[in-house]
Amino acid sequence: MIVFERLLRDRRRSTMGWVLGMVAYSVFTVAFYPSLRGQTSFDDVYEDLPEAIKALVGTYGEVSISSAPGYLQARYFGLVPVLLLIFGIGLGARAIGGSEEDGTLELLLSNPVTRRRVALERLAAVIVLVAVVGATGVISLLALAPPVGLFDGLRLINVVAATAAATALALAHAAIAYAVGAVTGRRGTAVAVATVIAVTGYLLQGLATVSDAAQPLRWLSPWFWYLRGNVVINGPGPEAFLLPVALLVMVAAIATVQFERRDLR
Amino acid sequence: MSASASGAAIRTEGLTKHFGDITALDGLDLTVERGEVLGFLGPNGSGKTTTIRLLLDFLRPDAGRSEVLGGAGADPEVRRRIGYLPADLHLDPNHRGVDVFELFGRLRGVPDHGRLAGLVDRFDLDPSRPIGELSTGNRRKLGIIAAFAHAPDLLLLDEPSSGLDPLLQNQFHQLVAESVDEGATVFLSSHALAEVEALATRVGILRQGQLATVSTIDDLRRQARQRIDLHLADSGRDIAVEALTAVAAVAGVVEATASLGVLHLVVEGSVDAALKAATRFDVQRIVTHDTDLEDIFLRYYATESDG
Repeated sequence: MIVFERLLRDRRRSTMGWVLGMVAYSVFTVAFYPSLRGQTSFDDVYEDLPEAIKALVGTYGEVSISSAPGYLQARYFGLVPVLLLIFGIGLGARAIGGSEEDGTLELLLSNPVTRRRVALERLAAVIVLVAVVGATGVISLLALAPPVGLFDGLRLINVVAATAAATALALAHAAIAYAVGAVTGRRGTAVAVATVIAVTGYLLQGLATVSDAAQPLRWLSPWFWYLRGNVVINGPGPEAFLLPVALLVMVAAIATVQFERRDLR
Repeated sequence: MSASASGAAIRTEGLTKHFGDITALDGLDLTVERGEVLGFLGPNGSGKTTTIRLLLDFLRPDAGRSEVLGGAGADPEVRRRIGYLPADLHLDPNHRGVDVFELFGRLRGVPDHGRLAGLVDRFDLDPSRPIGELSTGNRRKLGIIAAFAHAPDLLLLDEPSSGLDPLLQNQFHQLVAESVDEGATVFLSSHALAEVEALATRVGILRQGQLATVSTIDDLRRQARQRIDLHLADSGRDIAVEALTAVAAVAGVVEATASLGVLHLVVEGSVDAALKAATRFDVQRIVTHDTDLEDIFLRYYATESDG
């Protein structure tokens, strides 16, 4: 696991930055809750918004935005996957594509390592790093939320599971970035493709909540797997883990085989 | 595999690589014996780097095959015994020298016996500074040390002297010579003849992806054209023309001109016949110009502009 360890070490500084960012976001989320708690006027404003906007903000059905689960869903679990996803796409794109583009991959591969080993150890490191940042988010939230009653009436296991689902969503996109980088050897292409897929999936999921015509397509969106209902109240369904993991395994396997077969750039 | 029993350090058969419409390497048949230094010469873009990248399995051939140290370049066990110095050394600017040495050392898993420290000392490199802060020369030093640190059996050196000052070049040449004494094989790609001449026993000249010739340095020298000036006693025009006609007819004389009682000859191979033909014109003085391998080399290159 020498390549794995090295990537963890190389990314420790940027990962630390993301960890601090996640903690700061937890602090921010928790700090604003007391001023919003039970503000029904806020709900009234919200009530008048078109469904599509509500869907984009991240509220579902009858869950009030000023209630703990509504607030957490909209405020926290709407943005956390986006943050993890940005982090994950960047990491995934650099794992092969970025290092091939900057020329450092070739010298590494002149050592007694196979391409497969380098690729898979780096993918493993990407997964661990995204998981670490996701975990810090939920740990800081668990530590900070109870005093302001943000967990009132909630099952903690659902909060943890929702974070895990957000991490899985981010990892699926990180795997896409890794895969495009491994196939093309280009970091920019990898970031672009993964980002377009993430944005398209997000919009499709939002659209599907308001448009019947888009309903059949919603399963194509990784965001739908994650946000089928209020993840805080109901907890994520099994599809929120199984589908992203299946996607990750599939694209990573195809890309790794392609990477083994092609010429380095 | 019976082929591996041959013991050659490198063997390629019909090795061919295309990049789109461009044929980067065209049917390369080359054998590098263990313990020899083969200079691989050619202008930029002639396929030298492509050859090395094929040997290391960074590229896959469109046709033909290659064998390195009796195995495949893709095999980690083979790569463990290879030291590679790329023409363009790309290292993470945030890494320090020690980070690179540590990573490569662990991957290679070869006992060090203080060799690395000795090389760092010898090249006077500060391995604790981030690579991004190092000068070009120091970065090259780092690349050289990384390539030689594990006492590899085969060194693949791609334009190793680019970016080295003369002092460093000298140190580097010493290191190569020592490695050869220790039994290493060196595949030295270069476009600089002087370097190859200093280190190699044999040279292969590559031109537009094809091997123009493989020869020992000594044979190349024997083939080399010599330029000699013959100063005649009589500086008259008629005698000069007569001498010129006589000498120009001799086999091996590829160029003959005259000016004010001096014959300027370019002779391929032995000058004996030309001298014998000239002696009857009362040669007073012979001026020879240094045999220039560069000329030979350029001759192989020159064909490039054909067609």
